[in-house]
Amino acid sequence: MKKRLGIISLFVIIFIAFIITWNYSYLEGLEEADIPTYDTPTGNFIPAEGGVFKRFNNAGHDFSNMPIDENHQRSLDSYYDNRAYHGAPPSIPHPVAKDRSLGGNTCLQCHQNGGFVEKFNAYAPVTPHPELINCRQCHVAIKTNNTFREFAFTKVQAPEVGVGANNAMPGSPPMIPHQLQMRENCITCHSGPSAPKEIRVSHPERINCRQCHIPISNEKQQMDASTFLRQFNNSYEE
Amino acid sequence: MNKSATNRRSFIKKMAMMSAMTAASSMFPGILFANEQEKGIPEDANLDWKKGPCRFCGVGCGILVGTENGKAVAVKGDPNSSVNKGLLCVKGYHQIMCIQSKDRLTHALVKKNGSYVRTPINDALDLVASKMKETITNHGKDSVAMYTSGQSTIPEGYIASKLMKGAIGTNNLDCNARLCMASAVTGFLTSFGADEPMGCYEDIDHADYFVTWGNNMAEMHPVLFSRMLEQKALRGAKIIDFATRTTRSSTASDRSILFEPQTDLAVANAICYEIIKNGWVNRSFVEKHCSFSKGLTDMGYGLEDHYEFTDKPQKIDFEAYKEFLKDYSPELVAKYSKVSVRDIKYLASIYGDPNIKVVSYWCMGMNQHTRGTWINNLVYNIHLLTGKISQPGNGPFSLTGQPSACGTAREVGTFTHKLPHGVVTNQEDREMAARIWKVPVENIPSKPTYHATEMFRAVDRGDIKFIWVQATNPLVSLPKTSRYRPGMEKESCFVVVSDVFPTPTSDVADVILPASWHIEKGGLYGNSERRTQYWDKMVEGPGETTPDAWMFIEVAKRMGYGDLFPYSKENHVEEIFNEYRQFHEGAKHGMAPLEVLKKESGVIWPYVNGKSTQWRFNAKYDPACSNGEDFHFYGKPDGKAVIWQRPFEEAPEKPDQEYPFWLNTGRVIEHWHTGSMTRRIPVLHQAMPNAYVEFHPDDAKTLGIRNGENIKITSRRGSCNLPASINERGLPTKGQIFVPFFDENMLINDVTLDAFCPISKEPDYKKCAVKVEKA
Repeated sequence: MKKRLGIISLFVIIFIAFIITWNYSYLEGLEEADIPTYDTPTGNFIPAEGGVFKRFNNAGHDFSNMPIDENHQRSLDSYYDNRAYHGAPPSIPHPVAKDRSLGGNTCLQCHQNGGFVEKFNAYAPVTPHPELINCRQCHVAIKTNNTFREFAFTKVQAPEVGVGANNAMPGSPPMIPHQLQMRENCITCHSGPSAPKEIRVSHPERINCRQCHIPISNEKQQMDASTFLRQFNNSYEE
Repeated sequence: MNKSATNRRSFIKKMAMMSAMTAASSMFPGILFANEQEKGIPEDANLDWKKGPCRFCGVGCGILVGTENGKAVAVKGDPNSSVNKGLLCVKGYHQIMCIQSKDRLTHALVKKNGSYVRTPINDALDLVASKMKETITNHGKDSVAMYTSGQSTIPEGYIASKLMKGAIGTNNLDCNARLCMASAVTGFLTSFGADEPMGCYEDIDHADYFVTWGNNMAEMHPVLFSRMLEQKALRGAKIIDFATRTTRSSTASDRSILFEPQTDLAVANAICYEIIKNGWVNRSFVEKHCSFSKGLTDMGYGLEDHYEFTDKPQKIDFEAYKEFLKDYSPELVAKYSKVSVRDIKYLASIYGDPNIKVVSYWCMGMNQHTRGTWINNLVYNIHLLTGKISQPGNGPFSLTGQPSACGTAREVGTFTHKLPHGVVTNQEDREMAARIWKVPVENIPSKPTYHATEMFRAVDRGDIKFIWVQATNPLVSLPKTSRYRPGMEKESCFVVVSDVFPTPTSDVADVILPASWHIEKGGLYGNSERRTQYWDKMVEGPGETTPDAWMFIEVAKRMGYGDLFPYSKENHVEEIFNEYRQFHEGAKHGMAPLEVLKKESGVIWPYVNGKSTQWRFNAKYDPACSNGEDFHFYGKPDGKAVIWQRPFEEAPEKPDQEYPFWLNTGRVIEHWHTGSMTRRIPVLHQAMPNAYVEFHPDDAKTLGIRNGENIKITSRRGSCNLPASINERGLPTKGQIFVPFFDENMLINDVTLDAFCPISKEPDYKKCAVKVEKA
C-alpha cells in the first residue's frame, strides 16, 4: 500500500513539476515585457494624439470589417436632433433601466461596442470615450418635450457634410469640421452600422485618420497671412 | 472595407472618371483607395491627370495631379506607385494650393538703394553672371559659392555641380542635405562603402517588428507609418518606438521606450553586448561578411571656425570588440540612459531572436547628432551581428527628409567633397567627371572646401564674397541663425536667392530669382529607397518664373562656358539626365533609362537588365554580388561590412544650473521644413498656424506655466518667444522642451547650437541647453 502510494505520489509530483515548468517557460516565452521602472510616462499620455488609434486593437470589435445594414441606418438629421446644439453631448432617447446608476456598467453594455438592439430596432451608437464611466454626468434622459418657459435658443448651424463641403480641392480629403475633445477616436462615430450614413467612412481600416484629415474651425476662418506675407509692392518700380 | 451598394449617381460618376483616366492613359484602375477620392470630384469636371512625385518629404509618394484649363486643381495618390499605393498625407493632398499664393515670386527682383526693383529675368541673370565673374577675377575661384538643396531636381543638382566643379573649378558647392542626411551618408560609407539603404519599402510587408530610433514616423513619414499600421492590423506586426519624446507614433506603437538625449549611443552598444552575451550572434555571417574596426575618439564638436577632422580607422578583432563592450552592460547603461535594464534586454531579444524579422527606421534623431556617424554605425552593428540585413523584412533603413536628398544631393553629389561618381579626392573619379563633362581634369580641384555650416561661417568672416542659394531657406533652417543672419546681411557678400516664395533668406538677397515650382517644370527626384521618379511639366508658371536648371545654364553661358552646356530649353531635363546616367553605368548603380522612367511610377536603382535590385548585397537579388557567397558587401575592397567600435560620448552642451533644459527641435505633420510652402496652403496653416514650445506637464506645473502662455526660451546664443503647449501634440520627457522649427516668425534656430558630427559635418538640432521664463 505504502509502496503504491509512493509511486502515485511520485507521479503526482512529476506531474505538478511538469505543469509548473511548462507554465514558467510559457510565461517566459510571452513577448510582453515589463513596465519600465522610471516614472517618465510612456504610451497613451497625450489624449488628443493617442485617441485616434485607441480602439483598433479592441478584441471582438473589428472596425475594419463592419457590416452595413441599410434597413437600420441612422441619418445625420436624427444624429443632430438628439443634441441641444452642435457639439453638445447627446441626450438619452430611450428609457433608462437603472435610474440610480452612474451609467457605466449599464450604458456600456450596449454603447461600448455597439450591436443591434431588438427592442429599439436599431444599432446602439458606440461611444468614443468608454473610459469615462460617469455617463450621466453629461448625458441626460428626455422625459418631457415641453419647456419650462417659452424658449428662443437657436441652434448653431451644424457643419455641412458631403462632397465639397469640407474639402479644399476637388477630391481632396475633407477636413474635420468639429472639435476633437472627447471625440478623439474617429472610427466610433464614422464607421460601423450605427454610424450616421452621411458620415460613414469608406476606409476605416486606414487607422491613421489624421494623416489626411486635419481639423478646421467651424466658421471658415480666412487665413491670416499678414504675419508672414512679404510686401514688395511699395518698392516696385513698375 | 465597408460594402455598401453603389448608387446610380456615383456609378455614373465613376464611369466618367474611368473614361477620363483612360483618355489620360496615365493609370490603370489599380488599387481601390484612390478611387474613393474620385467620389469627391464633380461630375462635370474634365480633369487631365499627370503622374509625378510628391513635392515634400523623402518618402517619395507617387501623385497624380489633375489639371483643368491649364491650372492644377486636384491631387490624388498614384495607385500605381508601390510606395504609397494610392494614399497620401494631408500635405500631399493639398500641395498644389501653395502656387496660388498671392506673394508668389513671379519676376526677378534686384536690390537697388535698399529696395527691390522688378527686373526682366535676362537682365537679372546678366547681373548674376557678371557679379560672379567679377568676384572670381578679383578674389579667386574660392570666393564664390553655391548652396543648393535636397529639393533640387537631379538635372538641377547635376548642372550646379558641373558649373562649379567642372567649369569654374571650385569645390564651394554644398547643400542643405548636409543638415539632414550627411551622417546617414558617412554611416553607410564607413560601414558598407556604398551609400543608401540596402533594403526598400517592401520590407514593411515582411517584417515582424519595426523599431523606430528617435523617429516620429506618424507625423514625418505618415504614409510609411500607415503601411506599418496596416501590417500591424493584418499580420500582428509590432511597432517599438524608441525616442526622447512621446509622440503620435508612440501612442500608436506597441511599446514606447524613452531615453535620455545622446544616450542612444550607449543603448545601441548595450544591445550588442546582450546579443553577444546571449550567444545570439550569427557566427557564420559575421565570420564570412564582417570585419571589425575602431576610429578616433574625443574628436570635439566643430564649434570653432576652420575645424577639421579626419578619422583614422584601425582594424581590430572580435575579442577586442567584446572587451570594449564590457563597459556597456545593460546595468551600467541603464544608470545614465534612463532606459530600464529590462527594456534594453527586451530590445536586444527582438534583434537577437533568429525567428523574428526586424527593420530599424530612423531619420533626423540619429542623423542630427554630434556623433551621427557613430550612431548610424552602431545600429548597423546590431543588424550585422545578427545577420539581419539585406533580406526582405530584415534590415536597417535610413529615411530621408527631402524629396531628392538621395536622388540629387547624394547621388549627383552636390556636396563639397563629392562628384556625380565618387569623391573629388580620388584621381579616377576626377578623371571620369572630366571625361564626361569634357573639361581638363586639372579643372576639378582635389581638395574639399566648405561644408554647409563652415560655408556660412566663411560668409560671416568675409571669405566668401558671392553666394547663390537655390531652393532652400538657410536663414530659418541653419543652426545658430543668430550668427549667420547678420553674416549674410554684411555688404561683403553678394547674395543671390532663387526661390518660389519670399523667405527670410530672400530678405537678405541682392538678387531674387523667380523659380518654377515642381509641376511647372519637368524633372527627376530620387527617394529614400533608391527610387528615381520622373515627371513632365504639368502647368505653366506665372510671370517670368524659370526652372532652376535653366537659370544655371543661362548664367554659365553668360560666363563663357556655353560649350559645356549645349542643352536646349525645351529638352534640357532629358539631355542632362542622359549625360548624367553615364556616371552610374554598371550593376552597382545602373539607373533606368528615361523611356522606362517616363512609363513607370518610379524605378529603383540598381536597374540591371530591365530589373530593379530591391535588396542590395544579397546574391539572391543583387547581380552585382560576385564572391559566390550568399552576401557580398562589394562597397568595401575586401567585400566585408565593418562593425565599428564606437563609444558613448557626452553632448557638447548639457543642461546645467543656468540653462536647465534640453531643447529638442523638429517638425509637425502639417508643415514641411521651413513652412515656406506649407504655410501658404490655407488648410495646413489653419490647422497649425504657429510654432509652440512643448513642456512636460510636471515641468509646466513647477514653473507655473499654463497652456498658451508666452514663453521666452534663451540659450547662450539667442532667444525666441513662443506659446506654451502642454499635453497637446507631443510630450517631451521631464527636463526637456520641444519646438517645431517651421515658423519664420518664431525662429528657434536663433537658439540652437552649431555643433556638428566631426565625420559627417551634420549639425545637431536636437540637443542644446536652454532656460525658460515667462515672456
